[in-house]
Amino acid sequence: MISTKDLGEELAKISLDLAKRDNATYAELRLVNTRSEAVTVVNENPASEETGTIGVGIRVLYNNLGWGFADTDELEHESIRETTKKALSLAKGASKLGIRVTRASEPVHVDKWETPVKKDPFRVPTETKYEYLQDTTKRMKENDVVARRGQMTFDYIEKYFANSEGSKIFQTLSYAGVSAIVAAKGPTGVQRRSIQQNAGGGYELVDEMDLPGQALEITKDVLALTRAPTINEGKSDIILSGDQVALQVHESCGHPIELDRVLGYEANFAGRSFLQPDQLGKLQYGSEHVNIVMDATLDHGNGLGTFGYDDEGVKAQRKYAVKNGKFVGYLMSRETAPRVGETRSNGCMRAEYYKLPIIRMTNVSLEPGTWDYDEMIEDTRDGYLMVTNYGWSIDQKRYNFQFNTEKGYRIKNGSIGEMVRGPTYAGITPEFWNSCDAIANKKSWVLWGTPNCGKGQPGQTMITGHGASPSRFRNIRVFGAS
Amino acid sequence: MSQKMEHQPVSLRERAHQIFTTAKSVAGKAEAEIILVSRVDEYLRFGNNELAQSQYSTSRNLSVRVASEKKQGRVTTGTLDKASIEKTVEKAISQAHNSPEDPDYLPMPGPQKYHTVDRYSEKTVEAPAELKAGYIGSAIDLAKKNRLLASGVLGTSVEHVMMLNTSGLEASYRGSGGYFSLTMDADNGNQTGYALSTFGDIGELDPNKVSQTALERAKLNKSQAEIAPGKFDVVVDPYAWSEMLLFFAVSASTGYSPDLGMRQYKEGRSYLSGRLGEKILGDNISIDDDVYHPSQAGPPFDGEGCQKSKVSLIENGVFRNLASSRISQHRYGAVATGHELPLPNPLGELPTNLVIRGRGATKTSEELIGELDKGLLITRFWYVREVEPQTKTVTGMTRDGTFLVENGEIKRPVKNLRFNQSLLELFSKVDAVSEPVRNFSEFQQFRILQPGILARDFNFTSVSPF
Repeated sequence: MISTKDLGEELAKISLDLAKRDNATYAELRLVNTRSEAVTVVNENPASEETGTIGVGIRVLYNNLGWGFADTDELEHESIRETTKKALSLAKGASKLGIRVTRASEPVHVDKWETPVKKDPFRVPTETKYEYLQDTTKRMKENDVVARRGQMTFDYIEKYFANSEGSKIFQTLSYAGVSAIVAAKGPTGVQRRSIQQNAGGGYELVDEMDLPGQALEITKDVLALTRAPTINEGKSDIILSGDQVALQVHESCGHPIELDRVLGYEANFAGRSFLQPDQLGKLQYGSEHVNIVMDATLDHGNGLGTFGYDDEGVKAQRKYAVKNGKFVGYLMSRETAPRVGETRSNGCMRAEYYKLPIIRMTNVSLEPGTWDYDEMIEDTRDGYLMVTNYGWSIDQKRYNFQFNTEKGYRIKNGSIGEMVRGPTYAGITPEFWNSCDAIANKKSWVLWGTPNCGKGQPGQTMITGHGASPSRFRNIRVFGAS
Repeated sequence: MSQKMEHQPVSLRERAHQIFTTAKSVAGKAEAEIILVSRVDEYLRFGNNELAQSQYSTSRNLSVRVASEKKQGRVTTGTLDKASIEKTVEKAISQAHNSPEDPDYLPMPGPQKYHTVDRYSEKTVEAPAELKAGYIGSAIDLAKKNRLLASGVLGTSVEHVMMLNTSGLEASYRGSGGYFSLTMDADNGNQTGYALSTFGDIGELDPNKVSQTALERAKLNKSQAEIAPGKFDVVVDPYAWSEMLLFFAVSASTGYSPDLGMRQYKEGRSYLSGRLGEKILGDNISIDDDVYHPSQAGPPFDGEGCQKSKVSLIENGVFRNLASSRISQHRYGAVATGHELPLPNPLGELPTNLVIRGRGATKTSEELIGELDKGLLITRFWYVREVEPQTKTVTGMTRDGTFLVENGEIKRPVKNLRFNQSLLELFSKVDAVSEPVRNFSEFQQFRILQPGILARDFNFTSVSPF
């Protein structure tokens, strides 16, 4: 059977030659072969599904004025020719309503790249996966517990990319996800505790997360939450757990630095951004402690935003979005980078083969600070510790946000005290990040994964990584979810 | 750019039978089910007054379920040559063999009778990209004339589903649809107007009306006044809801799992568990699951091929019924209503065709505004998420035009507001409704028909800087 790489080379030659003959300014082809598995247990009920897809996405630029994209899962030569013609036809039509495209240059890459995997999840027997998840949900079984759920997911992706400039790139990308949720009903209504992590790699993530080992603790938590008090509305210092900081970075930094939003291409759905080009290098986005990087390289960690090359053949890079609190950089594509005076894309175009690549987050991470986590708690006289997200919402320019978390604790005179349910905080993005006065150090830093970032029309779902450690924010508006 | 959205339902049916013959021969004595889905999507997306993204997508997906000795496995593939199909079935057999027994396993259902639904529009299927580009070009021209930027998407989809199983069941569905979503804005989105129209038949689309609505709202929504948060009476445009009303049917507390099914209710997982017969909404509000409503979409059968029934979930504010399935019939003696997801499904039943309606005569949006003494007109909600499941309190923002109304007239635009609002409370304080329309949300595949409303005491809690 022909390999994905060889098939990709064969199909790319047909498509790129045809596009060239038809005077395309630029063309690219991706052949993507994906194998996925999801195994779930809800209470005692099992479900598993394995999915395999293979298909080609072809993107064409015509006359430097219009883009066209078409995809197919029929891989015969004639289908590839027809799909290329469709993309060309759309590009020609779009060129009548387009503007002149100037694309940042990118070196020609002929390369291969592979996600490091320690334990191949597809070699682990299904029975073993079920035993692990059933063990997890069994340990959650208690009076007042109304829902127990454990899940693991795995993706193995072979991706061949070639463009009309001569790049030929073959990547194998592997991702894993593991989660558990327990919900209980008591005097305060329904409460939830969960654990979730998604990362690059394989079954080693399942071993590391040890859901059965954590099941008892989150079950104890959720039962306590059904009897825990809420918090009064007011202003307070807060310390957020690392996973909550990760989502805060995703929503209030990752999205507003997407340059397509800034330029208005997402105005109808995902929205625009408060971070305008004239603020580059000037706006004090956060306090001096805040450093946020956009880093798709493996040196940053094996995250959901780690790869060798993006989906328009740009090599993975590391750049700052926020340096010492100052806003300094965007997530860009080859087409948008010149619009803010940049000479090179930083490699953020991502999509499944059957979707048009758009600017997406890679690993957008808050760099670790200098504080030992325990010392940060001890240094806090009066405040709340808030742990693990429950709900999140932010306006279309990414200013006004509200996050509620699953559980919290009162911090009094440097000690963690009483548990509280549904602690919620809200604010305006630059004010919030400027109130950050402490970030925990490398010992507490984790590269978290967000597997469900939505953007684009029709909707696209993307996986993104966010490194973060627990952080403290001063004088924030807080209240209880109930 | 002259291409049709080609679709060949007859050949797909034949293809499904060929595949099924292969699947049966590989499955041997095991039960087997196939679901073959073919889709064609064409979306023209524009921003900054440019046609920036033109996309044409075709896909075929084969999902195979194999069951043996109360164990089940499901494997899905996009590769439909004979060898790949055989491998897919073999994998499903292996997966079933390696799975634990499913306590809810039932033999696959036999032949069913279906009410027909007519959701296939030749006009939509045949609509060339030029037609859509022409509508978009007109919107862009109008925006340019008014010194605004147009952005949005106009897309069409065609779907054909074939389902067969070894108990003799055969189900098929074909449908088409699309939507035109348009924003006109200026000043980095500080001045915006939004309009949306959904359709099954593209002939029903009035692109000029969409453009004019977005334009009028954008022109009105300039130099927004400051406003203090608090409780306001509101008129909500029927297209404003986005994903908000989805939270009637799913809960974040249990990991975004469905609420209105019998299994979740009986197991205590639903926020409504124990509340059958209770009045939870105003007595002028009812919610059905009705796939047969003329404005609805999707197939008249569920994930195991059983016919869907109309279910009156909430009648005049009282929680009356639940979506059910053969599993709930077996477990609890419930009447199966055809709301199963593809099996194995540990989450429970899911009503996907909600219709939210008011009692009595409906009013136009203009009439609703005319009846508002003092309050806010909401033209779009955004980024709605659950805060608290029992009261169905959700938070989110307004966007693209929030207007102060006095004495039945729009007076001026105000800045965008954040709300924290119980849906149960909101729909207990509705004074009047408009005819439900099919909304569209990028985030979910629910097909909810939702009305515009005039309601009291909507709880806004903070204000955005724009």
